[in-house]
Amino acid sequence: MNMLGLIFADEHSSDISDLTTRRTFAAIPFGARYRIIDFFISNMTNSGVRNIGVIATTKYESLMGHVRYGGEWDLHRRKTGLTVLPPFSFFNGEERYENILEALQANINYIKENSEPYVLFTTCSAIGNIDYSAMLEQHIESGARFTCLCTKDPTNKTEGMQTTEYVLDEDNRIEDIIIHHDMTPDAYVATSTYIMGREDLLDILADSLEKHKMSFRKDVLMPALKDSKVMAYVTDEKLLYVDSVASYLKSNLDLLDSSMRKELFGQELRPIITRAGNSSPAYYGEESKSTNSIIAAGSVIEGTVRNSVIFRNVRIKKGAVVENCVINQDCTIGEGAVLNYAVLDKNVMINDKRLLSGYVTHPFFVKKDSVI
Amino acid sequence: MARKKKCVAMLLAGGQGSRLAPLTENVAKPAVPFGGRYRIIDFSLSNCVNSGIDTVGVLTQYQPLELNDYLGTGDPWDLDLNYGGLHVLPPYQAAKGGDWFKGTANAIYQNLKFISNYNPDYILVLSGDHIYKMNYDIMLEEHIKNDADCTIAVMDVPLEEASRFGIMSCDETGRITEFAEKPAHPKSTLASMGVYVFSTDKLAKYLELDEQNPDSDNDFGKNVIPLMLEAGEKLHAYLYKGYWRDVGTLSSYWSANMDTLGEDPELWLNDDGWRIYYRHDFHSPTYLGENASMHNCNCAAGNEIDGQVSDSVLGSNITIEEGAVVKDCVIMNNVVIEKGAEVEYAIIDRDVRICAGAKVGGDKENTELTVLAAGTVVEAKEV
Repeated sequence: MNMLGLIFADEHSSDISDLTTRRTFAAIPFGARYRIIDFFISNMTNSGVRNIGVIATTKYESLMGHVRYGGEWDLHRRKTGLTVLPPFSFFNGEERYENILEALQANINYIKENSEPYVLFTTCSAIGNIDYSAMLEQHIESGARFTCLCTKDPTNKTEGMQTTEYVLDEDNRIEDIIIHHDMTPDAYVATSTYIMGREDLLDILADSLEKHKMSFRKDVLMPALKDSKVMAYVTDEKLLYVDSVASYLKSNLDLLDSSMRKELFGQELRPIITRAGNSSPAYYGEESKSTNSIIAAGSVIEGTVRNSVIFRNVRIKKGAVVENCVINQDCTIGEGAVLNYAVLDKNVMINDKRLLSGYVTHPFFVKKDSVI
Repeated sequence: MARKKKCVAMLLAGGQGSRLAPLTENVAKPAVPFGGRYRIIDFSLSNCVNSGIDTVGVLTQYQPLELNDYLGTGDPWDLDLNYGGLHVLPPYQAAKGGDWFKGTANAIYQNLKFISNYNPDYILVLSGDHIYKMNYDIMLEEHIKNDADCTIAVMDVPLEEASRFGIMSCDETGRITEFAEKPAHPKSTLASMGVYVFSTDKLAKYLELDEQNPDSDNDFGKNVIPLMLEAGEKLHAYLYKGYWRDVGTLSSYWSANMDTLGEDPELWLNDDGWRIYYRHDFHSPTYLGENASMHNCNCAAGNEIDGQVSDSVLGSNITIEEGAVVKDCVIMNNVVIEKGAEVEYAIIDRDVRICAGAKVGGDKENTELTVLAAGTVVEAKEV
């Protein structure tokens, strides 16, 4: 493969901060057994990328514990593989870089050391099963300097949050980039996923460092629109957004739709892989009633589960009713407890007969390790 | 630096398991799936690593392809080590010619060189076809404490079943005084589990003696143990009281699977204190549809269930469509049970399709266990 992959693990949006108090964005658990980063690493390896750098600046212990050397994706090779790139004092003691350009500048040596002619770099904002090799093919065929991924269907993107939109000509060349706080209907929404030449990127990084440029979009992409070919790659794949707790709930529950599951997990040549646990099979008790739900291994279901996503090693005791919920790993729901539109982070204990209820737009969120 | 291991395990995994046919038609018995996500051999291997034994030779012979693939480098059991770890030991050709393993003892005899690489004080001999959770380290400590030459793990079995096993008679210190392989009139109810600890020098000595006897079947139970007893060596019994099953027949295989079910199962798989490790295959999580009903079931990953399932063990990547009824079954990976099909009291091997409206098996009280071989397609008529 002739493309280097870079993944930015952080998102600094405050609307998702409940789920990122103790982990970086890419390490948020998703879809009963995955973490968000699994989709990006899998998409890259499924597209033939063999060198992947994961750039993490904050709270990356759980991320590193999850991806380790990338063995699950066969990335623990002698010459190529997965490298987690934690921050180091780069900007005179300032340890955290806030945006893509700074993160790339800080990791310029990693980009230099590898030899692929192209670089793919992406944030983790939109989850999908995306074929990056088709995107690279378009990039090469079109002769573009930059190719930028976008979608017309940003499923569950929270309204009122900043959106980057591309204005395209009939050949999908980007004519303008617009920042909105409300989405324009039918707009091409950017996902912060780019392909470009590696040498070109190194030149841009050297120049931007010298001139103290800080923003990839504003200082690099926008000025390039005039005299370079900047192309959009419009994906047909469904993209699920996780930019607030409500969209986290909605995007998880969207997996209950069989066409969504098929698109995300049913692609025979593009499997989404995650770190294997060692759970036993799930056990369903004599009185269990579970319908329209995704239930991971290791769970013990003795109560009722409807329209929910249940992660590994969850225990739902007799008489408990869990509806429209996302229940993360190692939670226990006590006897007779009733939960509706709740999002439970990991290792939460809900005692017997508790009633928790939110609404689809305002889920009841319970922090990691809480006891209610 | 001279390096050594205290104990090396030798796992006998070459058996054909013909009584488990058709499950063993294309796969060695230790690689037969069990309990939804495991293979039979996972129990012995996990017991080893959980007991602190990190060097395991796996002796293969019959249909080794899938077993070899499954074992790989031993990484699922953390047995991918630079010194020690898991080693697959197939029969081989040597300067003086080569041979298939003639018996359990001969299999170890042919691999004494492997053992000597680790210079162990003790050798643990195991079968790869038993389902149990056992701490071998406690047995090893007993062996050392008794200053025994060989320690044999035994279970107390009902007298009426004793003639199916190798039966020990012991004195009050636990020293074995008599050993009888499958006796018609058992003198005791202490049955061998096929788990042996040997002091290395004694094992090497008696394997050599056994090898020199052209009439020997080269079998531990039949030949080597009696030979050691006759010679007056110190053999001890180690009484094990936990769960242990020889899944040598289809009905015992079915029953042991059922032992994993229930709120307080006889064989608890989700035991954090004694994990059973397995090689993972990647599946998305299981989805239960609008019409699904699951009662007293174990269910692994990647399944799409919309039918009614009770008292059953399900593997991965299984589809059970709306209106299908599954009861008292063991169902392995990649099985499709179409709309309205009924499957009862059956073992369904991998890649089976049961078409809409078909009926397989019947009531557990009044019918024989039904077994569908891998790849079977059942049309909509009674089987």
